[in-house]
Amino acid sequence: MKNGCSKKKAFLSPQQEVRAPLINPFEEFRAFQFKHTEIPLDQIVRSTEVIMDQIRLGYEKLLEEEAKELVWMVQYNTIIKAYEVAEKYVKEIDYSAEDIEDFCFALETPQKVPYLIPGPAGIYISALCNYAKEEEIVLKLSELKTEINLIGFRLPRGKRLMVEGDTGDFTGIGLEGGELLVEGNTKNWTGAGMRAGKILVKKNIGLHTGEWMMGGEIYVEGRVRGLGNIVEGKVYERDKLVYPGKARFPNQYY
Amino acid sequence: MEEKRLQTLIEEIWPRLKRKHLYPEIPIPKVGKVNDPPDEGMEKNDPAFRGVGLEMKDKQLTINPSFLSTMKGKMSEENLIEALLDHGITHYTFCPWDFQTHLALYAEAKKVMGDKETAKQAATHFIDVIADTHCVKRRVTEIPELHRNLKKGAVEEVIASLYQRIWGIDLGISFSKKGNEEVVRRLARIPYLDRSRWTESIRKFSRSLKPLLILEQKEKESGGGKGDSNPLGEHDLNHYSYEEIDQGLRDYAQKTMGLSEFKEVVEDFSAELKEMGYGIEGGMGRGRGAPIDADILFYMKLAENYSIPLKKIPLEEAGTLHPHSHSPWEVGSPFQDIDIWTSFGKIMPGITQIWKKKEGKGRGKIEGAPDCLIIIDSSGSMINPRKNLSYAVLGAACVTNAYLRNHSKVAVYNFSDAPMGGREVLDYTSNREEVYRTLCKYFGGGTALDLEDIMPMIKKKKELDLFIITDMKITNLETLIGFFGKIQNRITAVHIGENPYASRFEKAVEKRKNINIFTVKKKEDIPHIILGSIREYFNPIHKAR
Repeated sequence: MKNGCSKKKAFLSPQQEVRAPLINPFEEFRAFQFKHTEIPLDQIVRSTEVIMDQIRLGYEKLLEEEAKELVWMVQYNTIIKAYEVAEKYVKEIDYSAEDIEDFCFALETPQKVPYLIPGPAGIYISALCNYAKEEEIVLKLSELKTEINLIGFRLPRGKRLMVEGDTGDFTGIGLEGGELLVEGNTKNWTGAGMRAGKILVKKNIGLHTGEWMMGGEIYVEGRVRGLGNIVEGKVYERDKLVYPGKARFPNQYY
Repeated sequence: MEEKRLQTLIEEIWPRLKRKHLYPEIPIPKVGKVNDPPDEGMEKNDPAFRGVGLEMKDKQLTINPSFLSTMKGKMSEENLIEALLDHGITHYTFCPWDFQTHLALYAEAKKVMGDKETAKQAATHFIDVIADTHCVKRRVTEIPELHRNLKKGAVEEVIASLYQRIWGIDLGISFSKKGNEEVVRRLARIPYLDRSRWTESIRKFSRSLKPLLILEQKEKESGGGKGDSNPLGEHDLNHYSYEEIDQGLRDYAQKTMGLSEFKEVVEDFSAELKEMGYGIEGGMGRGRGAPIDADILFYMKLAENYSIPLKKIPLEEAGTLHPHSHSPWEVGSPFQDIDIWTSFGKIMPGITQIWKKKEGKGRGKIEGAPDCLIIIDSSGSMINPRKNLSYAVLGAACVTNAYLRNHSKVAVYNFSDAPMGGREVLDYTSNREEVYRTLCKYFGGGTALDLEDIMPMIKKKKELDLFIITDMKITNLETLIGFFGKIQNRITAVHIGENPYASRFEKAVEKRKNINIFTVKKKEDIPHIILGSIREYFNPIHKAR
């Protein structure tokens, strides 16, 4: 075979010996040069992530200081102290209302936030809401599996916080004139120790509602499971004044 | 004539488009009639009419000439076609990319929306935003110009405003409603181009768009019409081929491993799946009319992810086998039957072919897989396969596939309290659906076998394998042990959890070489343990390794 081939070669004329130019089969790809184009989305996403990192860091520091053993007891003193620490970190961050919502969902993602301790988490979220630039904050939390406790703590006058979904215990405690709207249920101790402002719950409310409440109003569109020892203020159940009025025994199931 | 001219135009720009999108495997787009249901009470000449510009069906992009004519004067024909095709191609090259991603995105949207129609809308908008944003960022495209000129409803206006913000291009949108601005602000924070975060992103997207989508849905319902179609093409199952849907369902079942999630998605798409001839009856379900049994489909698709090699045994046949015809090779089918000449030397499902052998005249012993009798426990102590993922049913389904792939037949004896009638018997068959249906039957009562039922099924077969899967809490266990002690068939017994009954069974049959027992302590391990162990059992080479 080899001999045959070489013989064939010998018969080629000089013109035939001139080879056709080689064609690069990938010639067409030469035109493609990857250009890194930037669109505003890239910038928005980057800055959102930076803010989220700062918020996460603040929360982790709060846990380091206030829940060293990852245990946290709800007591008057511990709440006040934790809030003061949370305030300190929150004040340093430039965030928007949407960042607060993102943080609530990040709490349920262990890859993002390793520890969700309901008490400090709620206090931290409350501090974020209280120091947010916006006067009205909407948190769409219907798909959140965890009900956040202590949300709306010390909500100041002039702020309106709307929560879509259910909230946990101690919702709106120590309210300081703000307006808290929960488009779902709240658990026990709602509005405890509130001084002024308004809490509106679209569905039902748990036990000890308004415990040591000093002022303000609680409106419930569903049922109130039990009232606490109220000092002053008003509680309405389906537009009907239930406190003050025909006094019900505290925490009575009805 | 007009269509011919447009087709020529497409042929001219197609090489450039292909190059721009790095040579996608898509046939040349066509100009032709598309499925564009007219909205009731609206004429096509009506300026408010918004038709479908692009149809994507089984990888074929079709441009609607009537849509092009409605856009006359607003954009040059060439730019308009290029923008439509850029959009269509990006669906294949970036998002959703495959059917499984589409299903996963829809399932996440459904979790937020709670309603099938609005969830489909949310998924469609999300997929479109990703495709268009990808195109605007990575390619030179006329998509922004197209959006500037499209007629918009309330949702489309919000999305166009989102584009304005995230692309940094003026599309001529200014808001009158304050609420919409907030929606856009929320939508603009989503990392659309980060594929790894799509599931999280679509939840956020749906959450933000939910009030608008619900409002739009209500308007549609009160209007009685179907509403406007998506001018950039609907994202339904027509987009995908049978094979892609098959693969997508398989991957989705494997990924979720959750029966309820799979069932919900399949039921939501049941109309479309049926429309595509994807019933449960007849082969892979390519028959019309039969309702889709999502439970059976779930186990079928999940089991397809596993394959068990089956060690053949000498079987006495009336004659020797000779190659008769070809059939497509599937993963798990015997390699030795592959016809390399017609398979182009490749081992690849869809290309590779195997010889189908037929029996000739004469007598002799040849290697083959015997038929199998699957005995499955569906008593109250077992998981209901129609409520939760039952690893017992999954294991039995994998075994079914292994035997059927080797051209053997499978019979099923599904029992709970058999003497009291709690049993279902399926005679030897090669009909996969029938086998799966019997496996999925759940009685949930006591646990007792009736040997009177099993004996005739064993006696009528000269060579037969037995596969039993149970928790061994059988009231007449001694009878079963005694029965297994008498027969010589290969028996694979799988029992779930440690209990005194299982220990008793193990002890009683430990000396029997034809019986292999596998204990499963964690239910989740069943598919792996069964499959791995059977491989060892049927294929001694694996054991030696």
